[in-house]
Amino acid sequence: MASHHHHQQLQYSVFPGYNPPNTGYINQEGSSYDFGELEQAIALQGYNKAHGDENKLPLYTTVPRPAATLDMFPSWPMRVHQTPRASNSSTDSGSAVHVAIANTPEMHSHIEPESPISGNGYSRKTSSEQHQQMLRQQLQHLHIPEQLEMESEGGSPVTTGGSSHSQQTPKPFSEKRKGIGSTSEKPVDTKTQRRLAQNREAARKSRLRKKAYVQQLESSRIKLAQLEQDLQRARSQGLLVGGSGVSVGGSLSSGAAIFDMEYVRWLDNDQRHMSELRKGLQSHLSDNDLRVIVDNFVAHYDEIFRLKAVAAKSDVFHLITGMWTTPAERCFLWMGGFRPSELIKMLIIQLDPLTEQQVVGLYSLQQSSQQAEEALSQGLDQLHQSMVETIALGSVNDGVHHMAVALGKLTNLEGFVRQADNLRQQTLHQLHRILTVRQAAKCFLVISEYYGRLRALSTLWASRPREALIGDEDLCQTTTDLQMVQPPSQIHFSNFG
Amino acid sequence: MHYQTESWGSYLPPPTTVNDPFRRIERLAAENAVVIFSLSSCCMCHVIKRLFCGMGVNPTVYELDQQPLGKEMEKALMRLMATTSPVPVVFVGGKLVGAMDRVMASHINGTLVPLLKEAGALWL
Repeated sequence: MASHHHHQQLQYSVFPGYNPPNTGYINQEGSSYDFGELEQAIALQGYNKAHGDENKLPLYTTVPRPAATLDMFPSWPMRVHQTPRASNSSTDSGSAVHVAIANTPEMHSHIEPESPISGNGYSRKTSSEQHQQMLRQQLQHLHIPEQLEMESEGGSPVTTGGSSHSQQTPKPFSEKRKGIGSTSEKPVDTKTQRRLAQNREAARKSRLRKKAYVQQLESSRIKLAQLEQDLQRARSQGLLVGGSGVSVGGSLSSGAAIFDMEYVRWLDNDQRHMSELRKGLQSHLSDNDLRVIVDNFVAHYDEIFRLKAVAAKSDVFHLITGMWTTPAERCFLWMGGFRPSELIKMLIIQLDPLTEQQVVGLYSLQQSSQQAEEALSQGLDQLHQSMVETIALGSVNDGVHHMAVALGKLTNLEGFVRQADNLRQQTLHQLHRILTVRQAAKCFLVISEYYGRLRALSTLWASRPREALIGDEDLCQTTTDLQMVQPPSQIHFSNFG
Repeated sequence: MHYQTESWGSYLPPPTTVNDPFRRIERLAAENAVVIFSLSSCCMCHVIKRLFCGMGVNPTVYELDQQPLGKEMEKALMRLMATTSPVPVVFVGGKLVGAMDRVMASHINGTLVPLLKEAGALWL
């Protein structure tokens, strides 16, 4: 049976009826054996099916295989339980069958420190070899008065409970003998051979499945640890107000994590400002009152540029690659944010009616921001070219120097993001200057709404039905879904004309 | 009274070489409509050059790493601008416009083009 690991809770939950042994075993390896749980679960499943009355065993020391035809069991590693760690020689053959289900170096290295048996440097055999050897061991061990434990591949060898095992020896072995004996005493005929081969096949498949699942669990575990770390860091800095609405993918630098938290808060403020603007426009406030709201809104945007400037010092890549934004925004990102000229193009259409002077002002604003964007883009291209040369031309001897030069060039990225943000900020201020108070209110509302919708687009896209990938008709359906989102807000704007 | 760029020249001593970096900056800035002090390795200098060229302006660029007294001029600019990065610095019509931030801001708020026109660097 599966050796007793410490994941008793899981055992209970999975097999309520199952009575795990008491803590006669001291589980040395208290750390996680996620795969161990799975193995136990699978093993217990079969075990329970096969031996209902075996549950009463106080210790899991038995090898319950009644018939070799039980599918998965032959694949389970047989572990010779060693009372003294030194007595490897006697248990040599048995423990050699210690099958690491992963049979991969990384899994093994993960496992080996924990396991004294595997730490003895047993060679890693292929699964089929091990399996064959296991069967052989099974036959051999009929005569060896030792405990054979079913054990998970990475599982802890419960060595300290060894002495208590010996008492159990006769019983489990008789069962084992019973179990294996049927095949060992008859001559191995073709039918049995075929069955055994099928079992091997099934065993191998289940091993592969298990391997994949275990690897998935491991990576999730690591990701979870990182997430908790980031959360802890942010919380300790008093930034996390409670509940994280930020999607944290992979590990963030602390500067990036801080900025992301601040950005979430800024988005909440954005919502607040937007609703204030909307209310102000709808309730026909006086121009002076509206001006206060609009000024607050401009200050709100100044805030995000200030935050970005701080973040650019610590993690410029986070900003410039747009990891702080949603995918749809990221797709259309320019130098770490929005492209001012595009914003103005959108606004010129939406801000009708405008005086002629205002139209001229807006078009010249569009032109000058386009020129500035062009200059910045060209500057960034040149930096890119320069970096390519530096990195490519680094010879073996000169490599360190070239890397240092490249690092120096990378520091210029911060300047680009800062200048791009400066451009954005100046553009918004200029809009504020050109437009009347009411127009400015509408303008800022349009801007915030636009980006809100772009963010919503990302969410919709992420949750779209996957069948949309198969047929065109589904594609149309998703677009109409999106169209449904748009009209209400447009009606909104016509009220403010 | 309309301020001519040429009038600067009449107040300066007629030197063959000016050893004072500040004076040198002033003199060089006065000699052309648009003067940019730059470093060949600076990225933002490249951006600003592109900006002016994109507008159709032909600026006079002084690469301080290739100038006599270049190092001293860099230090002088740093003190003048009160920043750690001496370049780029733009003078239009002999008058200081500023570093990158200010140039961008003045371009966006529409004050740069009139200034350029006034200095004769830009025609409609």
